[in-house]
Amino acid sequence: MNLSFFDQFTSPCLLGIPLIVISMLFPSLLIPNFDNRWVTNRLSTLQSWLLNLITKQLMIPMDKKGHKWALILTSLTILLLTINLLGLLPYTFTPTTQLSMNMALAFPLWFATLLTGLRNQPSISLGHLLPEGTPAMLIPILILIETTSLLIRPLALAVRLTANLTAGHLLIQLISTAATALLPIMPTISVLTTIILLLLTILEVAVAMIQAYVFVLLLSLYLQENI
Amino acid sequence: SSGPYMLGTGLLLYLLSKEIYVINHETVAAASILSVIIYCIKKYGADVAAFADKLNEEKVAKALAVKNEAIEHLQTAIEEEKKEQWRVEGRSYLFDAKRNNIAMLLETNYRERLLTVYNEVKKRLDYQVALQALKRQKEQDHMIQWVERNVVQSITPQQQKESIAKCILDLKALSKSAQA
Repeated sequence: MNLSFFDQFTSPCLLGIPLIVISMLFPSLLIPNFDNRWVTNRLSTLQSWLLNLITKQLMIPMDKKGHKWALILTSLTILLLTINLLGLLPYTFTPTTQLSMNMALAFPLWFATLLTGLRNQPSISLGHLLPEGTPAMLIPILILIETTSLLIRPLALAVRLTANLTAGHLLIQLISTAATALLPIMPTISVLTTIILLLLTILEVAVAMIQAYVFVLLLSLYLQENI
Repeated sequence: SSGPYMLGTGLLLYLLSKEIYVINHETVAAASILSVIIYCIKKYGADVAAFADKLNEEKVAKALAVKNEAIEHLQTAIEEEKKEQWRVEGRSYLFDAKRNNIAMLLETNYRERLLTVYNEVKKRLDYQVALQALKRQKEQDHMIQWVERNVVQSITPQQQKESIAKCILDLKALSKSAQA
């Protein structure tokens, strides 16, 4: 398999059948089912504990109306977390490196928060366009700037996730290529490069988890403004 | 028991030598991520398992605590009930003491009132006695005055002169004896 650097980002296809759906749904297989037991095994206990932690973290700042979003936000967090972490394994395809998927996640959710705000409390929603305490002369310019920042949010959400993950994966590939190529020539430098690779891997693990969290956190913030 | 290891080694060497599995950059990336994963599991595996066990323990302990508390509660209720039963036995003594108390109070009250009645009656009788004494006294005084008045009136002028002359003679005799 002669891989170029961008082969890992092509949507997987087998005999002309797109496998993207399988690769998006596969992480859900790893999450154990919900037993009807009261005291479960270790894995289920840890999973429930994690879900509890995430939900509480997201829902505590919000008032009761925002709790309707608890399911979708928590499941979004778990989806992104598992997809990102699984993408660090070799020869895997990470769906979140595709801008199409991230836009498909970010745009509808952001739009939903916007419409909720405009529908239920239009003047408060529009009032967010102007921060408090601006001097009177700057008001028109500031409204334009705030509107631009509002409209660019979905793009920012999607591109942030895509760029972070793509860059991380690409860096891992490049540095590991360097380590492999240097191994017969200068083994010492190869060892150094391998150490860099290890550190980078740890960073990528952290980035994977953080990016998932940030995505959902920002969405919840947009929700809090508008609910 | 070295069967699986032989199979694994043979398979690996076969794949590598025939270049069915090519060593490329992904191998190095795989090695690094697998080493990170194995390191994390070896280091934190036991702690995570203990944490999960602790979560379960707490859950079960909470339920047990509820049950134990209920049992304790009921036992305390049983103790209280027994005490109440013992108290009922002693109730008759309590009532007797109370009855005696009340009887004593009534007696005291009755005696006090008797005393009041006696005092009042005595006061009235004393008044009557004093009234009669006063009447007596007044009658006596009046009688004495009447007698005196009549005696004084009955002294005639002749008797008056005679008595005065007698007194003068007495006085002269006395003065003579005094001088001598």
